[in-house]
Amino acid sequence: MSRVAYRIPSITASISFLLIAASAGVAQTIHGLPREGRGGDTKVNTRVGRPAAGKQEYTRYCAGCHGDHGDGVGENAQWIEPRPRDFTQAVFKCRSTLSGSLPTDQDLINTVRRGIVNSNMPQWRPLPDQMQADLVAYIKTFSPRWATEKAGTPVEIPPETPVTTESILAGRAMFQKFECWKCHGTAGRGDGPSASSLTDSKDQPIHPYDFTTGTRFKCGTTNADLYRIFMTGLDGTPMASFADNIKGDQGWDLVHYLRTLQPIRTPESILWKSWLATHASELKPIGPESGGR
Amino acid sequence: MHMKIAASVAMCALATMALVPSTHHSAGGTVAGKVTYTGTAPKMKQIDMAKEPSCAKQHATPVMNESVVAGEGNTLGDVVVYISAGGAPSAVPSTPVTFEQKGCQYLPHVLPMQAGQQLEIKNDDQTSHNIHPMSQVNPEWNKSQPPGAPPIQTTYAKPEFIPVKCNVHPWMHGYFAVLNTSHSTVSGSNGTYSLSGLPPGKYTVTAWQERFGTQSQEVTIAGSETAKLDFSLKATEY
Amino acid sequence: MSLTKFVHGMKWLPAFALAAGASLTAASSAAATDTRAADSTTATRAPAAGSQSVEDIYRAYRASIEDGTGAASASYATKRVKMIPAFARKYGLRCSACHTAWPELNSFGQQFRDNGYQIRNEKDSPIAQNNAYIPITVRVTPQFHVERATRQLVDATPGDAKSGQVERTLTSHGFDLSGMDLWTAGTLWKNVSFVALLSSDNFASFHFEAVSLRFDNMGDNPWLNLKVGKFELDNMISEKRFLFLSANGGSYQSYHFSAPGSSVDFGIGDNQLGAELSGHSLNSFTRYSAAILSSNDGDPGSNNFSSYDANVNFSQAFDAGKMGIERIGVYAYVGQRPTAFQTSDGQDIPGTGTTRKAFYRAGVAGDFFLHKLEFLPYYLHGNDNAYLASSTPSNSPLLDGARDASWNSGFLETHYYINQQLVLTQRVEAIRMSQQAFPDMPSTLGNVDAYSFGTRWYPFMFSRAGLAVHGEYALVKTVSPGQLPSEGATANIWTSSLLFALDFDF
Repeated sequence: MSRVAYRIPSITASISFLLIAASAGVAQTIHGLPREGRGGDTKVNTRVGRPAAGKQEYTRYCAGCHGDHGDGVGENAQWIEPRPRDFTQAVFKCRSTLSGSLPTDQDLINTVRRGIVNSNMPQWRPLPDQMQADLVAYIKTFSPRWATEKAGTPVEIPPETPVTTESILAGRAMFQKFECWKCHGTAGRGDGPSASSLTDSKDQPIHPYDFTTGTRFKCGTTNADLYRIFMTGLDGTPMASFADNIKGDQGWDLVHYLRTLQPIRTPESILWKSWLATHASELKPIGPESGGR
Repeated sequence: MHMKIAASVAMCALATMALVPSTHHSAGGTVAGKVTYTGTAPKMKQIDMAKEPSCAKQHATPVMNESVVAGEGNTLGDVVVYISAGGAPSAVPSTPVTFEQKGCQYLPHVLPMQAGQQLEIKNDDQTSHNIHPMSQVNPEWNKSQPPGAPPIQTTYAKPEFIPVKCNVHPWMHGYFAVLNTSHSTVSGSNGTYSLSGLPPGKYTVTAWQERFGTQSQEVTIAGSETAKLDFSLKATEY
Repeated sequence: MSLTKFVHGMKWLPAFALAAGASLTAASSAAATDTRAADSTTATRAPAAGSQSVEDIYRAYRASIEDGTGAASASYATKRVKMIPAFARKYGLRCSACHTAWPELNSFGQQFRDNGYQIRNEKDSPIAQNNAYIPITVRVTPQFHVERATRQLVDATPGDAKSGQVERTLTSHGFDLSGMDLWTAGTLWKNVSFVALLSSDNFASFHFEAVSLRFDNMGDNPWLNLKVGKFELDNMISEKRFLFLSANGGSYQSYHFSAPGSSVDFGIGDNQLGAELSGHSLNSFTRYSAAILSSNDGDPGSNNFSSYDANVNFSQAFDAGKMGIERIGVYAYVGQRPTAFQTSDGQDIPGTGTTRKAFYRAGVAGDFFLHKLEFLPYYLHGNDNAYLASSTPSNSPLLDGARDASWNSGFLETHYYINQQLVLTQRVEAIRMSQQAFPDMPSTLGNVDAYSFGTRWYPFMFSRAGLAVHGEYALVKTVSPGQLPSEGATANIWTSSLLFALDFDF
């Protein structure tokens, strides 16, 4: 009896496998064409990205927002704020490289995995590593820059200096001197005098990061990530690079101060709180110099 | 009051022309003329610098938006006039061009340069600026320049009209006109321009204005004469 | 008592009952087999006071087949599945971002669900959404289907009850509607998510298919999430999100099987009432869940909650490079059911169940990708205590020879994703009794073989709504008690479904 029962599946199985084979051939002709020559090589750790394979996954996961042509105008882009990245410009927020240079493959993978906080870009961690590499390889076919330019050199981040009151105070002075407060606000709330007028490179309104609500930054969570953000700037946004003006260990001072603005308990905020308890009156307020006009 | 602004703009334009290297075109012909517009030029709005007192106090008179510098008799200033075709490829000038931030304004408003030419960006103000040239063809970058910081030295490799802005001071805007030629100039506030040092040959001369677009005309230079070439751009509301 | 005598004793059963009840007329069977209807029969199937004969047990088993709650029944009305364009609309992702082929989840969709329907970009809370956004989804499936069943008892001469009974194959076909799912799900606040799924039969009579509230990432820790309500068990291979819809193919036989004669009403594919603690790694490659569940097979409002069941699941996924993600999991469900009740005038008083006896289901599941080919193997071992298996109250002596009933079952499902808009499916499934409740029961009684194949084509793929053009054929062979004197102790009944459906979801 059971033999009969199993024979039927095997016949139908072979039929369906014939169908599969036929349709696989069709799929090959429709989807198998990579963008010839563009994009250069993509390599993340040991995985080599394959643009042709990435194309299919891009259609599946990315195109709804970033568009079939990578131009950031997928069918959902109009409903999303901030708007999805336009890959044809090859301008990326999160890089380890200097402003104006192309990010490394690892930078792009990191963004895919990390997502972008306060945007619609999810964390694509569950995708297999190979698929992430394929996606990055495909994203790089949208701009000819990838064929002619090399990725920039990652900025050097020196070993972190100890968290001290002096370091936090020095960082606070930098926050004042570099006028971070003009956009990010005197308390880091993202409500500085220039905040309301900010637009990105596509003339879309954009909000400065509010240090007092978030625990993650746009491009990472660690102190080193924060250091990297103001050194590289977030290209395509008003966030400029400070690499010409902040050197070496100085950067850690600013990091240590920015950490005190966050709503979480950090070594910096603990130290700062205890110092403020007895010294708050010694601080000059952050913001425009008194007297104004 | 308006005259004063025009005068200062003219001075800026002159300063620019002085900066544009033309000395090595010692011989040759000249193309000169006037740029005007037809239609109604949009009214420029006054800029409020109250948010930046250190800049506001540098301006005794109201500062106007510089998108359209219209003069009496429909003349048009800040128009880039350049050789867009013809002649031998010009060598990249060895002298840099300078873009200055002063009183929360860009001097000049429009800066022509040849692709590959050194560009120097200075901050003379007592406030931090960020220089954000929003290029499409060339790599886009965005750098902060606090008071007293050394000039930013850079180049652009590909021809492109690049809008420049400072995100901290949203009223600040200007243009880098990255061109394929060293034969370029910017019209003065009275609309006049002059391109000298052109070897004999047939040229296409193009005028570009950020709001009103481009216009091209052909001209032939035989020797050391001055060919007259006027441009008339059509004003658009936006 | 001999089995032959028992089998012949069954002849009085209404001739068309099986055909009418099991699968021939899906319209009526759908109503009869939704979870509430199934549970409403629990009282009659629960053991009565006093001992039963084997014949009684067999009769009850027949009845369970007839009313569609037995192994051979298959109703897609209760298997309405979970695909939520409301989320696609909220986050702007195409269906394909979360689904291999909707409603089945891919690894990203799994993580999204594990995160409490959040992408964790600090915009998950409803306060970050447009006021006009209400996460609501409707799914219905207009269809044409053909149902066929062999060995149906009919009068030899139609209309003449005295003409004697013969077995014939009966076929019916026509247009129909599925039931409807009315879904709302999402976040109430950051890290507080909810589900409310009202599911109807095809007469639009609704019941609570799933309602739950979940506290996500407790202490900012993805390993701690607590869900309370009625929900699908954390089955690694979800029956609620699978790709089959037909009367015979639209459920996993393994998920709803009961041993012949057993009084256990439980199906691992039925949504249950309880609380579930679960957790996962950041990419959801490692997942666990532990749930405590009311022992009433998910029937809200029933008094039958005098004890608790437990369900545990663990699965681990591996990144297999170009092949994709491979996942393997283990699970166990341990439950108890009362075998006797307090009575009033001899009638059971619900909720007073005593002398509980145990049953369990345990096994392994896999989800293996070979690039575009996905294999879903599943194995289950089931065991019902002798008292449950023989429907004997445990305060009475067991009938001679009565013992635990146990069986093995499993399936292998295969999907081939030609692209994100076209998928081919097939599934082969088998259930084999390894020990009947009584030694003299035919060893094969209750065995099931099932085979399904189909295709789903999604003509468009974006983030607002979904349509699937669905084709499917399913064939089930059930070893049933023989019905005619000419038959032996058992007879194979074949049922099949052919379905063409327009499965839409907004």
